[in-house]
Amino acid sequence: MTSTPTAGARPDEVRRHNRTALLRRLHVGGPCTRAALATELGLNRSTIKALVDGLAESGVVEERVPRARSGAGRPSLLVLPQPLAAVVLAVDIRVEQVAIALVGLGGQMLGRDSWNLRGRAAEPAEIITRIIESTRLLAEELDVRMIAGGVSVPGVVRRGDGYVHEAPNLKWTGVPLGDRLTAAFGVPVRVANDAEIAALAEHLRGAARGSLDAVYVSADVGVGGGVISDGATLRGTAGYVGELGHMVVNPDGRPCYCGSHGCWETEVGEIALCRALDLPEHSPRGMVVAELRALSAHPDQVRAALGDFTRWLTTGLITIVNVFGPELVVLGDLFTALPASLVTEVAAAVAERSLVSRAIGGTKIVTSTMGVDVKLVGAAELAFEPVLDMV
Amino acid sequence: MSEPILELTGLNKSFGPVHVLHDVDFTVRAGEVTALVGDNGAGKSTLVKCVAGIHPMDSGAVHFNGERVAIAGPRDAADLGIEVVYQDLALADNLDIVQNMFLGRERGSGWLLDEAAMEQAARETLASLSVRTVKSVRTPVSSLSGGQRQTVAIAKAVLWESKVVLLDEPTAALGVAQTRQVLDLVRRLAEQGLGVVLISHNMADVFSVADRIATLYLGRMVAEVATRDVTHAQVVELITAGRSGDLGLARPESATV
Repeated sequence: MTSTPTAGARPDEVRRHNRTALLRRLHVGGPCTRAALATELGLNRSTIKALVDGLAESGVVEERVPRARSGAGRPSLLVLPQPLAAVVLAVDIRVEQVAIALVGLGGQMLGRDSWNLRGRAAEPAEIITRIIESTRLLAEELDVRMIAGGVSVPGVVRRGDGYVHEAPNLKWTGVPLGDRLTAAFGVPVRVANDAEIAALAEHLRGAARGSLDAVYVSADVGVGGGVISDGATLRGTAGYVGELGHMVVNPDGRPCYCGSHGCWETEVGEIALCRALDLPEHSPRGMVVAELRALSAHPDQVRAALGDFTRWLTTGLITIVNVFGPELVVLGDLFTALPASLVTEVAAAVAERSLVSRAIGGTKIVTSTMGVDVKLVGAAELAFEPVLDMV
Repeated sequence: MSEPILELTGLNKSFGPVHVLHDVDFTVRAGEVTALVGDNGAGKSTLVKCVAGIHPMDSGAVHFNGERVAIAGPRDAADLGIEVVYQDLALADNLDIVQNMFLGRERGSGWLLDEAAMEQAARETLASLSVRTVKSVRTPVSSLSGGQRQTVAIAKAVLWESKVVLLDEPTAALGVAQTRQVLDLVRRLAEQGLGVVLISHNMADVFSVADRIATLYLGRMVAEVATRDVTHAQVVELITAGRSGDLGLARPESATV
């Protein structure tokens, strides 16, 4: 790091803090003019200049004259984060497939890969080996070196060292995933629950941007949720939170693998949807989506096919809204394929029947716009979190 | 459960005296990746070209979305929403990505092309497929890598709201890392609810993306099986011998002469 004229005036730690804040702003919010940076961060213009100059010198950002001019005077320079300045690995382990991506500063996906899990390929050792092999291949092809990693797992994860206690849908128990990957790559790899990661992605880059209290609920084979409370992720002791899918809604319902009966997941998960749509259990994801799309074209049939499903979705969401009191609920993953009329109906029912929703003037219920990539995006953010000050 | 998006029954095709396809039945379901495998000369490419309207069929019926249709030429196939991506990359080298994606179907009125709208649509399509590996949609295709070219060719299918995409050996000319990126894209196409047919010689590719495997052997469809029910070895036997255990053709001694 080169010393700049202002460096002596401020303690080094303050400057470092400002630098990280500026980098985080550019990473999450995208390119921005120097003037806007000064306003948003509440820093002096000369401070911003010194910071940006330092970052530009080390190749982390690039400055350019903006194309569209606003008003009179010399235009403020546009600061663009350079994707290749910091690259992290994002991994999304799902029940039926694994996806990996190398993500650059600013959130650009530089390259990606995915594969199906069938039979032996779903064993932890096989998955870890394939992740390592694929990542090396991809990094070589793109000619980049990664500085950190983030992994999303559908299970209960210890935050400190990424130890997966239990991932029932994957049939995993006691897998030291974080330690194994950290050792293999020689860079810090963080592991977290998939719903928590998706909530982080929605909060930073998706539908829940700018909202301080939001809940993200997603359906894959299992159903999970992540909670953003007062702008931060709700974690619970050692990070064990978010099993919203195992909230019991129907005590007389089907047995769940978790040992309970009538968990929310058994009524609104992918298997429940397959049942409602008359598809064989464990149909490929695309088939469920295609079927839901076809149904959307015939609004009159939605109620007949998905009446029970709608009722259970509403019941669960009312409880969630009553417990967490969010201003926004984002429905993700498979829920994004639900007919729009169904989502509107559920939102109306929740607004009417939840007293918390009534009190805060109506909790909004929307579907995610990030598609299936939400967990990859979140895993990348998880990886970026601790390393932005090291770039 | 709804009808298959595309269903072929009793398809026959001869080139002069050579009978290439014998009573072939083939179904494509929306949201599934169906791999079409077979030895060289088994009729895979011919089957795809019949579906695409390039070769007329001698006999056989085609049902699209449950309705009987006739495919007399490539235009008919395109109108139904059937798009084909060929192994030799049917892209024009001298044009950029947008021009390639809209080739022959440019937007605009009279003499004026609506460049802004086309560029916007191309960018949105690539974004919807999470393709973030292409820097600018105005990059000439000649400067793209093999994997990026296939990506553009596949994205074209999505832009035109195709219902069925047939990929004829999309990874034949690519390296390992690029192959994986293209297969990743193939999977995402199916996850969006499209019916996808993948022709491939590479068993690893087939097993990593396909939901079902259809095997052609000397112009006959010998088996259509779910990927999870079979092993590599069984599929290789089906390709080379036309049978594997109870799958495929009947044993000669029990077959009627």
